[in-house]
Amino acid sequence: MTPLLDIAGLTLDYRTRSGTVRVLDNVSLSVAPGEVLGIVGESGAGKSSLAMAIMGRLAGNARLTGGTIRLGTDDLAAQTARAMRRIRGRRIGMVFQNPATSLNPTLTLGRQIVEVLVRHRGLTAGAAWREAASWLERVELRHAAELMRRYPHEASGGEKQRVAIASAFAPQPELVLFDEPTTALDVITGARVLDLFRRLRAETGVAGLYISHDLGLVARVADRVAVMQRGRIIESELPRRIFAMPAQDYTRRLVDAVPRPQNRLVQDEPASAELLCAEAISVSYGRRRLFRSRSAKGISGLGFSIREGEILGVVGESGSGKSTLARALAGLVARSGEIRLEGVPVTRMGRDYRRAVQIVFQHPDSSLNPRQRVCDLLARPLCLYGGSTGDIPDLLRQVNLPPEYASRWPHQLSGGEKQRVAIARAFAARPRLVICDEITASLDASVQAVTIALLLELRRRYGTAYLFITHDLNLVRQIAHRLLVMRHGTLVDQIAIGTLGTGREHEYTRQLMAASPTPVGEETRT
Amino acid sequence: MVEVTRRLLRTPQGALGAAVLAVVALVCLFGPLIAPYDPEQMDFLGRFAVPGAHHWLGADQLGRDEMSRLLYGARATVPPALLATLAGTLAGAIVGTLAAFAGGRWDEAIMRTIDAVMAIPGLLIALLVASTLGAGEGGALLAIAIAFAPGMARITRSVALAVRQEDYVAAAIARGETGLRIVFAEMLPNALAPVVVESTIRVAFAVMLMATLSFLGVGAQPPASEWGLMVSDGRGYLHDAPWLVIVPGLAIGITAIGFNLLGDGLRDALNPRGER
Repeated sequence: MTPLLDIAGLTLDYRTRSGTVRVLDNVSLSVAPGEVLGIVGESGAGKSSLAMAIMGRLAGNARLTGGTIRLGTDDLAAQTARAMRRIRGRRIGMVFQNPATSLNPTLTLGRQIVEVLVRHRGLTAGAAWREAASWLERVELRHAAELMRRYPHEASGGEKQRVAIASAFAPQPELVLFDEPTTALDVITGARVLDLFRRLRAETGVAGLYISHDLGLVARVADRVAVMQRGRIIESELPRRIFAMPAQDYTRRLVDAVPRPQNRLVQDEPASAELLCAEAISVSYGRRRLFRSRSAKGISGLGFSIREGEILGVVGESGSGKSTLARALAGLVARSGEIRLEGVPVTRMGRDYRRAVQIVFQHPDSSLNPRQRVCDLLARPLCLYGGSTGDIPDLLRQVNLPPEYASRWPHQLSGGEKQRVAIARAFAARPRLVICDEITASLDASVQAVTIALLLELRRRYGTAYLFITHDLNLVRQIAHRLLVMRHGTLVDQIAIGTLGTGREHEYTRQLMAASPTPVGEETRT
Repeated sequence: MVEVTRRLLRTPQGALGAAVLAVVALVCLFGPLIAPYDPEQMDFLGRFAVPGAHHWLGADQLGRDEMSRLLYGARATVPPALLATLAGTLAGAIVGTLAAFAGGRWDEAIMRTIDAVMAIPGLLIALLVASTLGAGEGGALLAIAIAFAPGMARITRSVALAVRQEDYVAAAIARGETGLRIVFAEMLPNALAPVVVESTIRVAFAVMLMATLSFLGVGAQPPASEWGLMVSDGRGYLHDAPWLVIVPGLAIGITAIGFNLLGDGLRDALNPRGER
């Protein structure tokens, strides 16, 4: 069978001030009609550049220095800009990562699909409107007619991504490119969008190229998985075989880095002494202004406790109040309710409390001041909490960074290294509890595994307790002793990890578990 | 810093602006040494001398050499303008960052006050302040600083509001830093880049505002050879001796353009997209 998409020897360079950077190096792949090829790789592997090369939407400094991209019998690299405009949308559909930015905020959702249909299928406005409504029903959106009159900001993230999928499928393309379509969505919504994609694929027989950094996820939707590393495709296999017997070391590392709940990393049980106890914690958001103040509920009535050395996981969808809880405990937002540290009520966030409870944030880019060197970043907590700057080399060694890093600027570090500096900064205060707010969410899977190992090592050494906030249920099941499940700002479940899956968990917890399946080929072991 | 300077000199506007300002700086430093005459020496026979071999740029209504006055006048014009801008920028930047950090009602109160001040044209504020303090260079300098501060506060606040959302500010609060330390050590350095760019462009305004105040009689007083005052003195003889207005006017214009170009270059050089 002739392939639908055939890429041979594709080489792409970006010209930058510091020279030419090769982002795609002799990439060859093919997608048969009706086949879905998954492409996995860590950030910087060249996945998105590949998608953009196929779409003919390369940046101005990009140069295709070799290879061909064929769609059926047409060479896409040789098409004029005008011809490409007819191919994009009509023959190749695309779904982007973030539906909030890929839809035009000034057009109603209906108009966005209608335009595509009028342009690419030559329908009249009326026929296009009816067709669009039927497509919205096919992507499982209720009240399609009403939704079409709404603007993007009046729809949820999941609804928007469904509209984006509908407008990609509506012109009946031969190939649909998906660039991390569920990354910006929360777990349950993402899982439903994935189900939708599988169903649409079965119905329409469209071929797909599914790009993601998440190997576990790609393996669930793709017929074949290609692994990219530094601009090359190093391996291409059936999903089950990738997991069972990866041929390359790099692939093995990726496979190993996929969190599996049955692979517990923490064996011990925490001491019984209570470290921190929170009762009826509520936070409301709003701006206090000179004349009119408004407020909205962030979280309400949360109560839980953490024992010495315990890892307490917090999971929930985006917007469930996980980060608000972290910020309330760290004293970053005003709260009501009582916090007790070792039985002593905390009325004011004083020095003792701040020292005992430290926080590490999600984005290391944002949590390190770009105008301070690593040594200055670490010197502040040391100087506030009675250490000396002589401890800086030890602090860096503790997080597996060479002491020479002290003189570096944050922009000279990789994402994982920055996060380790942030962890070192938290540990400079010798804390009893460290709040980890999605600290691995912006890291690649392999870097995530290393970071988690580091946290566990530090815990072994200092007996630190963690409040570990994440949206990744599989990850937290590897390390946490107990789990808090949050939804709409309230606590819906509080459960020991061992009792998950025994039927004693809350209905919503079960939904979360169903939305985070274990890797392909390993279902039997759960 | 070295890196920024290197990038600044690589942009065409930056290099040209720096070159123009280098000449202005040299004139400020060594002007009196190269001036052919004493700027206040009068010569009734040489009144309104046409530019030529004797007086390169001509002489004024009192027979004072125009070129000497221009060379001496640079010191009376450019450094005060710089100083005024610096004072206004610093005051504005601190107020703006404080407002952004404090947020809520404090922010609202500070910014509404600034809105009210900004509703009055800058020149009018400067005139008001200068006339209250009495005519003179010190008054003009302070007047310009006060006229500039609200605008700079507004610009700094808008940048600082974004900086306020960064996690390193949250991290500083969580580790128990004082508010002042957060404002000065964490926020201000990160909010300063656009402010620096804006202030170089403002220096050009300050030079002109300085000249305007002198022209209106509340800035430098005769017989000083401040450039704006020279324009003001010469305007009565525009018909007979146009060089009396044109020469200092050009000097003001060229200096202003120099600062403008430097500001443009700095904006490009400080743009993070240019990095790495």
